[in-house]
Amino acid sequence: MVAKIDRPVAHAQSKQIHPAVSEKLKDPAWAWSAYKPDTQRPWTLAQAGHLYRRAAFGATWDQLQQALSDGPKLTIYKLLLPQDFIKAFNRTYDEYETSAAGSTDSLKAWWLRRMILTPHPLLEKMTLFWHSHFAINNAKVKNARLMQKNVHLLRSQALNSFQALLKGISRDPAMLIWLGAEANRKARPNENFARTLMETFTLGPGNFTEKDVQEAARAFTGWFVLMSRLRYIPREHDDNIKQILGQKGNFTGDDVIRIVLEQQATAKMLLRKLYRWLISETEELNAELIAPLAKSFAKDYNIFKLVEKMLRSNLFFSPVAYRRRIKCPVEFALGIIKGLEGVVSTTQLAKSLADIGQNLYHPPTVKGWIGGRHWINSATMVGRHNLALALLQGSGPYGNKLNPRAVARKHGFSTTESTARFLLDLFLQGDLESGVRDTLPKIAKASAGAGGGDLVEPVRRFTHAIVTLPEFQLA
Amino acid sequence: MSKRLEFILILTLAVFEAQSTMAAQNLPPANQWIPQNAVITLELTKPKVLLEMLSGEKATAAITALPLYKNQASKPKFKEFINLINFMEITLDTDWRTGLAKLTGGGITFAVCPEDTVLLIIDAEDDDMLNKFHELLLNMARSEAEKQEQPNRVESTQYEDVTAWTFDGKEAHAIIGRRLVFANRPEGLKAVLELRADAAGDNLTSKAAYRAAKKAAGPDPVATVFADLSLLKKIPDIAELLKKSSNNPLAALTLAGIVEAVRDSTWLALGLDCRESKLIIRALVDGKTTASTSSAAFALPNKQGEGILPNLSVPRRIAALSLYRDLHSFYAAKDDLFPERTSGLIFFENMMGIFFSGRDLTNEVLIETKPEIRLVVAEQQFDPTIGIPQVKFPAFALILRLRHPEQFNEVVEEAWQKAVGLINFTRGQQAMPGLIIDRPFRGKTKYTVAYFSTSRIEDKTNLDSRFNVRPALAMPGEYLILSSTDGLAQDLIDTLHQETEQTPKPLAGIHSLVELEGGRLASILETNRKTLVQGNMVDKGSTQEQAEANIDMLISLANFVDRVKLRIGTNDGLTQADLEIKLNFQ
Repeated sequence: MVAKIDRPVAHAQSKQIHPAVSEKLKDPAWAWSAYKPDTQRPWTLAQAGHLYRRAAFGATWDQLQQALSDGPKLTIYKLLLPQDFIKAFNRTYDEYETSAAGSTDSLKAWWLRRMILTPHPLLEKMTLFWHSHFAINNAKVKNARLMQKNVHLLRSQALNSFQALLKGISRDPAMLIWLGAEANRKARPNENFARTLMETFTLGPGNFTEKDVQEAARAFTGWFVLMSRLRYIPREHDDNIKQILGQKGNFTGDDVIRIVLEQQATAKMLLRKLYRWLISETEELNAELIAPLAKSFAKDYNIFKLVEKMLRSNLFFSPVAYRRRIKCPVEFALGIIKGLEGVVSTTQLAKSLADIGQNLYHPPTVKGWIGGRHWINSATMVGRHNLALALLQGSGPYGNKLNPRAVARKHGFSTTESTARFLLDLFLQGDLESGVRDTLPKIAKASAGAGGGDLVEPVRRFTHAIVTLPEFQLA
Repeated sequence: MSKRLEFILILTLAVFEAQSTMAAQNLPPANQWIPQNAVITLELTKPKVLLEMLSGEKATAAITALPLYKNQASKPKFKEFINLINFMEITLDTDWRTGLAKLTGGGITFAVCPEDTVLLIIDAEDDDMLNKFHELLLNMARSEAEKQEQPNRVESTQYEDVTAWTFDGKEAHAIIGRRLVFANRPEGLKAVLELRADAAGDNLTSKAAYRAAKKAAGPDPVATVFADLSLLKKIPDIAELLKKSSNNPLAALTLAGIVEAVRDSTWLALGLDCRESKLIIRALVDGKTTASTSSAAFALPNKQGEGILPNLSVPRRIAALSLYRDLHSFYAAKDDLFPERTSGLIFFENMMGIFFSGRDLTNEVLIETKPEIRLVVAEQQFDPTIGIPQVKFPAFALILRLRHPEQFNEVVEEAWQKAVGLINFTRGQQAMPGLIIDRPFRGKTKYTVAYFSTSRIEDKTNLDSRFNVRPALAMPGEYLILSSTDGLAQDLIDTLHQETEQTPKPLAGIHSLVELEGGRLASILETNRKTLVQGNMVDKGSTQEQAEANIDMLISLANFVDRVKLRIGTNDGLTQADLEIKLNFQ
């Protein structure tokens, strides 16, 4: 494939908000309407890279080039809708995970491998999002098989129905054990699940009362986890009238879920959270922009439609969103691995990611990973630096699975300077100050020496320098 | 030059084999060209013996029949390699076996010296063929550089009467008569040439330690290895390893006598012999070890005729270990051996206190055991009516000999049942099913087994890993068996009855014996192939195809080994290890 490099335009345009665009972004109708490239906002390598960072875990060079050729509409379509063989792929990986469900260490390794190799990365990206939203830590559950089932549930509904997902979560043994709600008796209703449901999963703080929690807890009575299995014991269910969020009746747990989903606050809370995940961590979503989307989302809680709306929007392709999220450790590492078209030891990768703050199957609290600036501190930056070094050094725990020089050659870049430019475009799509951008390839050439010898090691060092730049830490 | 060609060239040079009788004319033995400061030296004096064993008809037939070989043979890279060999055979007008024998007929000497210098000296039987072969390699290196559009790096330089060559500007080699001298860096070759020029100068053979090691390796071995331990032990990693082995109680117990011997020695000698399909390696170190003074006295048979008992034979045995370890003496010396009271040690002692109802572990428990300790690992057979686990672990058992079985049996039984109870209690706290205790008979021996019930599991063909375990305790006669499964315990009861009737004779002077059955190991690897392949995929980042190739290679290697036997003991105060590897070419 002929390499197409679209240079500085991307960087300049993505950083600066055109006054006309800035004004339009205040208009919800325009902000959420589908992005159509024009001369002011062209479809560039930078935009393609942005889309793949948010809707996937980074992209290969071929994917970026294909996206440039396809345009945003078709590229998003391909990211949203799985190809035919995705079912077979997921079935195979489900079997791998079932075989490995003796320990969460194995489950982590298989999930990371699935994230690297899946033909439907958006599904895994959203599964990861729900893994933090419905956070469960196996340190308390101590049952890898239940954790596997939990993530399987998240994946099955990650781009489907939030209503079905929430209902599944309310009957998920891992969730009930994690929240200490494995025995919910009539005589002593367990408020943990009801409180977390309202505060963290749906309404958000300030949108319910303590009385609502107590009444909802009564509605959930009768549910137990016995010998790792969910059981309903009718005599333990409180049949009396409850009053929840202004509604009165002989409610069950399913009724509570219906009631919380009827509240606009739920749709708004989820919208804000998804906005942070897919669009921006720095710009708050104002009430005007929330309103139309929340209204349509609350009708059926169709996650797919909401995600599609967000990914296609003018807002998504605006400077408000561009590089306005800090990559979580998984995005950081997979961004390198995907770009270099390799598969590494995911057993080792899971441990490395835990060291820099993202231990899969072990989110730190019921609120999941807070993310944003919390990902970055002096220790985690050193950790990211070391992880990148380990991935790229060609020996050690990750072996020689990633070879930036070979990838560059594969795509037709063989000289030192062209290899350097290729890697800058692959990983940063030109998001560097022009001075730095022009200087780096020269430094690479100088460090490679004039002998024209083997460039593998200098290119490894250069790639490491790129992925440890502040720009690469931003999604 | 491409990495691949460079590899082939160096490999081709490195794998030569030779015969000792025809050492090159007018040349001194190769070890006289090795610097005195060599850290490790390997001398293959009868390479034809090895060549005949490993490339004979039987071995070739066995190798080419392997599925792994067939798989590799269909790949383009392998075909390229075969083409290269064919090309060499045509150019040199010989077949590869004869060519190898002629090219390396006088022996191979390999040495690792300080400053990462590696030397390889190969003595050919046929100097004409050696020169032709060298010319061929030079031409290949030149044409490969041309193909890669790289500058030609083949160069030569004159050093007195010798022409020194390099393929890649890094390694250096020269042909002197029928001898090829290869060094990974020019300084290495220079050192060899200087020793050649100064025949009276100090070389490896003038080192007393080397001469003593050569003598110890035996009169006429196929190959010998000399390692200068006084230098090797200065390497930080090795020093750390020796230190760690002493600080870890389990390692100190298992490796007792070995670590101490290495620590007190200045050299290590290895001698290799080949008999039919057997490789026999003898290892000796010069450090004197005596039971009265050594810190590993608890592992050294003290009296005449004392030693380990022979390993136990059970059906489907994978491995067996027999040790001579006086647990009472070992634990009595723990404060000297391990002055640091680690949390692990404290936990262990607390638990032992609970299990043995407050008895003193050293003087009331361990004193009841005799020094003969044996371990057995065997493949399991699963009863389909009970259930078959998805991952099939081997069964393993520890066999101790008791001093007063009639008094101590009940103490052990009580401790064991407490341990099972504790496991059940802990699992119960986590809402997990516990073990059920049963006390059946095997012949006249009553034993205790604990198992997880499968009666409520519908699909019994794909059980959890925990169903690999059915812990059992049996005490036939003076023996105590702690087994991970009742099946192995039953087999051991039968075996020990037979042993008791025959009164086994200890292997005098031996303190450790390990035996491994390659075929059985291959069998359990094959049984768990799917799990191993999947593990390799995530552990190594391999594709499924690569992972399958890796595991199949492992299985093939295990299949090639019929049996491995390692005996370690002391002989006249010197620690000696004998390793016997019987290869399987069936």
